[in-house]
Formats: sequence, structure tokens, C-alpha cells
Amino acid sequence: MMFRIWLIAKDEWRYWRRSHLAMTVLMIAVVLAIASVVVTFSTVSLAAHQRAHLQSQAEQKFVEQPDRHPHRMVHYGHYLFRTPPPLGRLDPGVDAYTGTAIFLEGHRQNGATFSGQQHSAGLNWLSALSPAFVMQILTPLLLIVMGFGVMTREREAGTFDFLKIQGVSPLMLTIGKGVALAGAGFAVLIPVAVGALITLFYGSSILSVSAFVFSYALYVGFWCALVLLVSTLSRSHVGSFSALIIVWVVTCLVLPRIATNTAVVTVHSPSKLETDFAVLQKLREMGDGHNANDPAFKALKDNLLAKYNVDSVDELPVNFKGIVAQKSEADLTDVLNDFAEQKMEEGVAQAKVARQFGWLSPAIAIQTASMKLAGTDLENYQRFLREAEAVRFAFVQSLNKLHAEGLSYADDVNKYQSHETLQKAKVSANNWQVLSDFHFVPLPAAERFAGSIQALLQLFVLWLVVSIGVVLAGRRQ
Amino acid sequence: MIWRDIWREGYFLLRKKSVLLLLLSALGLSVFSVWTGSQEVAAQQATIARLLEADALDRADVLQQQNDYGGVAYYSFHLTYAPPSPLAFAALGARDVYPWKHRIRMLALEGQIYESDTGNPELAQAGRIDFAFVISVLAPVFIILLLHDLRASERAAGRDDLLNVTAHSRRALWPLRAGIIVALLSGVLLLPFWFGAFAHSVPCWQVATVTLVCICYMALIALLCYWVSGWLYPAPVLASMLLGIWLLTTYIIPALGNEAIEHSIDGPLGGDILMVQREAVNGAWELPYSHTMDEFVKTHPKWADYTEMSALFEWKWYFAFHQVGDQVAAPLSKRYREVGKKKYQMAGVVAWLSPATLLQRTLTRLAQTDAIAAREYEQQVRDFHEQLRHFYYPLLFTSPPFHRDVFKARPTFEPIEYTK
Repeated sequence: MMFRIWLIAKDEWRYWRRSHLAMTVLMIAVVLAIASVVVTFSTVSLAAHQRAHLQSQAEQKFVEQPDRHPHRMVHYGHYLFRTPPPLGRLDPGVDAYTGTAIFLEGHRQNGATFSGQQHSAGLNWLSALSPAFVMQILTPLLLIVMGFGVMTREREAGTFDFLKIQGVSPLMLTIGKGVALAGAGFAVLIPVAVGALITLFYGSSILSVSAFVFSYALYVGFWCALVLLVSTLSRSHVGSFSALIIVWVVTCLVLPRIATNTAVVTVHSPSKLETDFAVLQKLREMGDGHNANDPAFKALKDNLLAKYNVDSVDELPVNFKGIVAQKSEADLTDVLNDFAEQKMEEGVAQAKVARQFGWLSPAIAIQTASMKLAGTDLENYQRFLREAEAVRFAFVQSLNKLHAEGLSYADDVNKYQSHETLQKAKVSANNWQVLSDFHFVPLPAAERFAGSIQALLQLFVLWLVVSIGVVLAGRRQ
Repeated sequence: MIWRDIWREGYFLLRKKSVLLLLLSALGLSVFSVWTGSQEVAAQQATIARLLEADALDRADVLQQQNDYGGVAYYSFHLTYAPPSPLAFAALGARDVYPWKHRIRMLALEGQIYESDTGNPELAQAGRIDFAFVISVLAPVFIILLLHDLRASERAAGRDDLLNVTAHSRRALWPLRAGIIVALLSGVLLLPFWFGAFAHSVPCWQVATVTLVCICYMALIALLCYWVSGWLYPAPVLASMLLGIWLLTTYIIPALGNEAIEHSIDGPLGGDILMVQREAVNGAWELPYSHTMDEFVKTHPKWADYTEMSALFEWKWYFAFHQVGDQVAAPLSKRYREVGKKKYQMAGVVAWLSPATLLQRTLTRLAQTDAIAAREYEQQVRDFHEQLRHFYYPLLFTSPPFHRDVFKARPTFEPIEYTK
């Protein structure tokens, strides 16, 4: 049985080797796959290197700053650069569409700046030479061109009946053809799988690499099954070809974009600027952290005076301005985080609407699975934003603490009296070691895998439905 | 006589279920793209309206709270934006990649202008379906599906001779059939666009240009298909060849071109601009005042006699070092922008090998939703920031008494106006 299937598959390959069309498209697909792996690998690796370099430069600059008033350093701020995850070398995902650098400072949550796409030639509005694109969009087309006639050809040439007489069941024939077709798909998958294995040296985990390769294998499996099904059901190879091309155009090109439009129309997400205004409105009610006399801080002042049993802020053992800065930064950050969380949730809600289309289009399912496993999806980007905010809050608050405890109130309020007082209102540069080394890593592999389960399930269900169809159609022959 | 032929062939075509189905799907896609495009444009306009309102309130509030010109300059934000053009609904372009709205203040501009408040990155990556996409990418597929077996199918069905014999003019039969198909397809694709254009009051010349460009594009594809469909190959081979050409020119050449361009030009990294600018601005706190003022006066000689400091902190010095920060970062920033521009220009050369890209670039240029429009908007923001500086410097350097009325003359951002 196995031997027969193998023979059928081998025979199909012999047919393809003689066909100029089949060999040409297969060669092109494999060459593109290899080129895309090499190019994307080197581009993303270079970007990773550059960003890591900028990151260490930013950290170095920070600690090199001279003696200063702590609040100066709050506004001097810090930069974080997002390094792409290891598997981002095969599926860069949203990387080019998101900012790569973020400026952290007191009182503000800035957006990430400098997205690669803004600075690109813009020719990749439809496609990028990435392994993800080659696998998701081009490989199905390859399978269609090579396989649209696998079953119809036997029928049209009348060889099908001969095979039946010789004891080859229709199902066996179908499986054999399927094996042959899968061979073509895997020929394109091999360079990508090799690329995925190489990312192990860059720190990706075995779980994500194997799930990544598996998801693409499943995707190839789906298209093989679909090509077989349509080829089995079609009366002529013309019909088979047209039907498959239409399915490809609809699922790979049209539905992903329809999903986007639907997501945008159904889930409203206000822009960051609008959120900024809402934050401002809220803040006006809360008081300005630069102004310790703001009535909003009166309760804080009264409490402190009572706690230390003194009559005025000058007598406090801590710098009241620093206390106000700490308190207002904490309050402000609560508000900012509330709004930021809400905005991120809206973003995820939009993405989820689009991802539901994965039940209709395997291309959407594989896109989601691939980005999630690679750590280049929206949620991983948001993880970067959250981590950046944690870094921001930590360094700003440690500077504010220094402001409260390392600088006297009298020195602070009199700083602009003379050059001497200005010098006195500074703290030593030794205090600038408040930054921890930052290196962005995506979600742990297990969580990324958990996140990709829905998309993998979509792929599996689609594959299963079509495979059952193949078996049923094979029996009917 | 010709009308009778058209009628006959049109009738034959529409009797074919596959043709009718393809035409209906084309109509559906075009309607969907125009409808969602209009929704997107409406959402952008509504956003701008809300922002304008909040922006005015916020600035008025700041003005009431502050008691000196420096304070107002420091705390006032100004909304800048580029509204969508009337034609934007048909070609949404790169407006989800480039920012089209900012809140700008008097501080160093290089620290602010790269803020990009764009939409959902995952959706931007997946791309949108708009009229431009339907025409440039999907219309050729429809034409290929409709025309590739124009003759092969009739040959296969054995009707080829019959049709030739019964046609009014043998020579005109196939061009006529192809012509009718393309005309019908153009009609169903363009009809929703015309409705949309009317609803958005797009200027007539633009509607005419878009129509003409789209028809020329489809005619070109149809000619290619018609030529290939005459070859004596089975239909799937013809279709494979045509789709191969389409795939190569639409997807693969642009993707390869993009990589080639990215690797051929080197420029400063965005991160470098930010770091240089920040060091320049923040370093000024430790430098002697004269250092900042000397650099400032180099570009603003008018204020050379007003640089004396009467206190340890003065707003004029604060804003002067922000100006100097921009000056220090200017060469890097200029180079960065030039590289971006150059890349887009080089892409224009590659586009000649990719009709779909060429059409997309043409349509987004007409709709002013492309990278060029985004850069023009960026320049507008830069100019506006410059105007703000011109307004504030006299107030900061000559320190007249504080009057809120003075701000009636403060420049306001004027967005781009589209020709009606």
C-alpha cells in the first residue's frame, strides 16, 4: 500500500520533471524562498544590531551626564530601542509599521517614532520579499499551478479507469498525488525551515521554532488538500484551474484586506492625539507637578506637616518639591496608563475582528499564527510599550526620590538666586546609575504558542474539512 | 450592423454564468471598497473636527493660566493636520503609515515631528482594500479570468468555426467580444467610484482623469490578454502565463525593487537625529549662556543686541537653546529626509516595470495620499513652527508687558486646501 502510494507520487514527479511549466514555477518559488530568507535574515539582523548599538549608546549617554538638578534628568529623558525577536528574521510582522524608538521622559507617554515603512521606498505596499510572504501567498499559487490537473488529467486522458482495474483505489491515487504535491510545497518550505533552525542560535526556543515550521507545514497541507479536492471535483482541468485561482485570489489577496476594512469600520479606536486631550482634561483637575503651590497639593502638604509635626514646608526633613513631583508623577501615570490600556485594548479588539476571518481564509490564519509565534504581532508590540512605560516610571520616580531626599527644599527654591545657589541645587552625577540594561524580548515561547492556538486551530479545522472532502470525493469516483 | 453584433455578443456573454458571476463579484468588491473608503475618510474628518475643538479649548485654557510670554509659549500646543482630499476615499494611500496630525509646541521641532499617531500597525501591515487596489491589482485578474479562454474555450467546445461563420465580420468578432467584456468590467468597477466621487464632490477633472487612467490601464491588460489568448495553447497554460506576468509585475518586481533600493542607499538612522538633538538641547543647561546665544544669533542676527541675561533663567535663553538644538540636528535631519525622498523617486523608476504600482502611485498622487503628500505636510508643519518662532522671539527677547490680546496675532495652522 505504502509502496503504491510512493509509486504514484514518484510518477507524478516524473510528469512534472518533463513539464516546463511545472519545473519553471517550482524553480522560481524555491529561488524566491531562498532569496527571501537570506535577504530578510540579513536586513533584520542588521536592524537588530543597529538598535542594540543605539540602546547601549543611549544608556551610556545617560550615565555620562554631569552633576545636575534631578528634575533636569527627568526631562533629559531616556531612549529605548526595540530589537526584533529572533524569529522576526523570518516574519518581520508589524515591525516596519511600528516605531522603533521611544523617548521616555517625565509627565508624558510618548509614542514610538521612526517606523521603517515611513522611510522606505514604498514599493512594498503589496508584498515584501519576506519568507512569510513567499510561504503565505506564493506557495499556494505554486501548488495550484503544479496540481490543478493532477486528478482531472487522469480522467481526461482516460488513464483513471486503467488504474482502477489494476486495483488502485481512487483514495490511494488521491493520497499518492497528495504526497507528490506536498513534496513540492515542502521544497519551498525547506529554506524557511533551515532559516528557522538558524534562529535557534539567535535565542529562539525549540518550541516556537517547531510550532512555526509546523504551522507552515499545516498551511501547505491545507493547500495540497484543496488542490486535490478541486481537481477531483472538477469536470475539466480548465474548470479546476479557474476555480483554484479564484479561491487563491479571494483567500490570499482579497479577504485579508476585507478583514482590515471590517475591523476598522466595526471597532472605533480614537487616535492617540484624542486620548492626549482626554488625559489633559483629566490632569487639569489634578494639579501641575511643576508647581508645588498648586491647591491640588494642599492635602499632601497638610499631611506631611502633620506627620513630621512642623509648621512649614521649609522645616520638613524632605524636599517638598520632590515629594510633589513623586506624588504627581504617580497620579499622572495612573491616568496615563488607564488611557493607554484602553487604547491598546481597542487595538487588540480591532485585530481580533480581523483574525476571526481566519476561519474563512487560511492565509489570515497563517499570518496570525506566524506573527504570534515569531513575536512580531500587535500584542508583542504592545508588550514593548508596556515595558517601556515601566522603565519610564521607574527611572523618573527614582530621580524624583533623589529630588526629595538628596536636595534640600531651601537649595531647591533658591536655585536661580545666583551661580552659587544654582550649583548647590544639583546632585552628583554618581546618581545617574538608575537605569537597568534594557533589552526587549517578546513574550515567553509558551505564551506565544498559547496565543497562536486559535489561529492554528483555524488552520487545522480548514485542513480537516477539506481533507474529509477529499476522502468523500475520492470514494465517489 | 455593428449594434446588432454588439447586442448578439453581449447576449452570448451574459448568458454565461461564469462571466455574470465574475462581473457581479467585481461590482461587489468595488462597492465595498468605495463604501469602506468613504467611511474611513468620514472617520478622519470627524477626528479632525473633534481635535480642532479640543485644541482650541486647551490653548485658551493655557492662555488664561499663564502670566508671561515664555509660559504661554512653553505650555501651548498647536494642532497641525492634513485633511483627506475629496479623492482620498478612492485611494487611501499611505495615510495609515505616515502621520497626518501632530500637536506641536515651541520646543525643538526635531524632538516632536517624528511622533506618528498612526492607526493599528497590524491592520496597516495587512493593508486595506480601496478602489485603487481593486483597479490596480484585482482588475487584471478579472480580465485574465474573463479573456484568457476567449478563443480556447470556443475551440474546445467546437463552436469556433460556427461563430466565425455566423459573425457579421469575421475579423471583428474577437476584438468585439473582448471589447464588450472589458467595457462591461470597466463599467461595473467604475460605477461605484463615480457615485463616490459625486458624494465627495471630487472635481470633474479628477474624475475624468481617474476614469481615463483606469480605462487605459484595463485596456492595456486586455490587449495583452487578447494577444496571448490567440496562441494555440490550452486555456490553463494561457492563464498560467498571464497570471505569471501579472504576479511578476505586480508583486515580485516591486518587492525585489524595494529590497534593491533599501540596500543601495545609506543614510542616517532616525535614532541618531533624536540623540544629537537631545544632547544639544540638554547640554545647553551646563554651557555658558553666551555659547547658546552666539549660536542662536548666527541664524537670528536681529536679536544680537538682546542676548544679555538679567536672571539665571530666562525664557529667551531656554527657547534659544531649543532653536540651537534644531540647528545642530538640521544636517542629519535634512539628509534623512533627502534619503526618504530619493528612495521614493527611485521607486518611481521601478514602477515603470510594474503597471499596478504605477497606477497606484498615479491614483495616490491625484488623491494626495502618498508619501509626497506626507512630506509636504511635514514641511507645512516645519513652516508653521518657524512662524511660531517668528511670533514669539520678539516677545521673548524684547520683553514687552504681558497682554493677552497680543495672542490674537499668533499664527494659526492653515491646513492644505484642495482645489474644488
